[in-house]
Amino acid sequence: MNQAEVSKLVSKLRIKVPAEPRKLRSPKGPEGRIDKLRKTVTGLIKYERIELNHNRGDEARQYAERLISEAIRYGDCHKPTMDVANYWLLEKELIHKLFKVLVPRFENCNTAYTRMLNAPRPLPSRVDDKVVLELRGNPYPSLVNRQSNNRLLIQNVLLDAAKYDYRQSKYAEMAEKIGQREEAQALEKKSKEPTKESSNESKTPEI
Amino acid sequence: MFRTLLNKLSTVPSSCGFHTTACLNEVRLLTRLRVVDNSEIGKRAMAEGKPPKVICVYNKKGVGYIGDRVMVAIKGQKKKGILVGLKQTQKVKVPKFDSNNVVLIDDNGTPLGSRIHVPIPTILRTVLKERTHAKGADYTKLLAIATRFV
Amino acid sequence: MALAIRRTSDILCAARWLIRRDCRVLSTLPEKAEISQEVVVRRPAGRRPIANEAVLESRHIYPEFLPDPNPDWRNSLREKLERADMLKRRSQIDIPEFYVGSILAVTISDPHAQTKTTRFVGICIERKGCGLRAEFTLRNVVDHQGVEVRYDLYDPTIQKIQVLRLEKRLDEKLLYLRDALPEYSTFPFDMDPEILPEGTPVPINPVQVKLKPRPWLEKWERQELKGVSNIEEHLKGKDRIRRELRKTPWEKYDLMKQYRKTIPIEDQSEIWAEVHNQLQQLQLSRKKMARKRTFTAPKPQLG
Repeated sequence: MNQAEVSKLVSKLRIKVPAEPRKLRSPKGPEGRIDKLRKTVTGLIKYERIELNHNRGDEARQYAERLISEAIRYGDCHKPTMDVANYWLLEKELIHKLFKVLVPRFENCNTAYTRMLNAPRPLPSRVDDKVVLELRGNPYPSLVNRQSNNRLLIQNVLLDAAKYDYRQSKYAEMAEKIGQREEAQALEKKSKEPTKESSNESKTPEI
Repeated sequence: MFRTLLNKLSTVPSSCGFHTTACLNEVRLLTRLRVVDNSEIGKRAMAEGKPPKVICVYNKKGVGYIGDRVMVAIKGQKKKGILVGLKQTQKVKVPKFDSNNVVLIDDNGTPLGSRIHVPIPTILRTVLKERTHAKGADYTKLLAIATRFV
Repeated sequence: MALAIRRTSDILCAARWLIRRDCRVLSTLPEKAEISQEVVVRRPAGRRPIANEAVLESRHIYPEFLPDPNPDWRNSLREKLERADMLKRRSQIDIPEFYVGSILAVTISDPHAQTKTTRFVGICIERKGCGLRAEFTLRNVVDHQGVEVRYDLYDPTIQKIQVLRLEKRLDEKLLYLRDALPEYSTFPFDMDPEILPEGTPVPINPVQVKLKPRPWLEKWERQELKGVSNIEEHLKGKDRIRRELRKTPWEKYDLMKQYRKTIPIEDQSEIWAEVHNQLQQLQLSRKKMARKRTFTAPKPQLG
């Protein structure tokens, strides 16, 4: 039973954290592992959506979450946080993105800052599980297909248009029919007005 | 990481295997001890820089604990002694010393010296009383020459 | 001091109010739905409420109240029961605030001793363990012989723990005192307690010890110790090379490694909300008792 370290305060991550870190195989040992993760985290912050293997994606996700939560907690005037950001982001303009774009975006966020989705893989293959790792609130179209009721989907738009056309043609047909009947009735009225009344009288008792 | 570095550094393959854990500091055969009483032979051995070696531990584990009787080789002689302080990790509230201390006794349990010049753990009082039998050796004489208990 | 306490109690009230409001969020009663929306608007989750910070400071004084960070060894019920037991023990005996580097005197009841009590004085070189298993190690040099005793903090046989000098050192563990010259860990048993004026921060003793020549118990040169002055004297070229090889400068930036060693703020504030009030009250009552004891005048001698 170890004592928890108390010198530093950290915010709780909103994702599930495994008890043990994953080993990412690298000839450089633990340093190589961190280097790999640095590249991935930089890519994630830069492109906001990347596709990669599951192991590396899951591990990088934890580091990205920690980086963003540190940035939110301490802000850009805190020197240790700045050092950490400087270490993790290999392209230095991304530091500005982290503090000026991502921090305001996630400041009032109640959920995790990233999202990880399983990606499809070509079937007869022995490749690893692929995932798509993305920052929430990215500008790309959503990957989650929960839009069966969305009217703007092209299929729905086409169907709507087809329905509309069909309905319009039906209305036209009906209008034509009604017009013809009215014309016929008008003609009948003109020709035999007295007979019509007698015929009506004769019909009612039948009903 | 450590292993890989070791492999890099050492020319011998790692399969020859030396372990890198911290040592337990147990009192076993051939452990060097420190004589802490003022017996003549003990004082001379320590002054010459030839501290006694354990050549037998009188228990069934082969590892000496507090209060155990050991036989030591000191200045070419065989002497018996009692362990009165150990370097290995102890139970809670039992003191741990910076050296393995021994007090030399003869076969009856009478100490060879007349004074012990380091502190002695109080648990030794109980342990030695248990080990003493009415007709056998009386180890409690050792407690009488102790100067300080911790 | 009294002002400060009142302020902290205010803060506590505020925190508890917040928690109560949060609980309402969870309730499904329709009439409270409006209130819950208000709260969500007022307290965004990203920012921590400032009220927590003062309470969180007690993690330095009572580190054993925080559970083990390893999630495999967590059990909320056991932790809760342990905390209750610790508070009960603390109401029986005064366990003072102390740190690694402070000098303590511990009196235990000892069935082996002639007077049935033993008192040991020494510098605290290590604190470890959490919950009821918390322990600390004292070190002293008695009659030129280094002695270390390990105590359980919540051991029922402990009669008294007295802080003789309250201070911190430059390092988190002082295990290197085992290899240092004996004068750095020699403390007389009849030392008088030094009283710090109230409200002063705990002083940090900047003393740097000198190590004995090698062999050492550990490779101290690789541990980046601040409290050792003469480590370079005893090194050879080979040691310096290996130290460079084994350096792990990336570990400082390993965010998940840090995370796995600590308890996050959200969990901590739950724990402190549970125990902080009682700890404060215990501390206050101790202080009152101490003041009473100082004011009692000795009885006039008859005749």
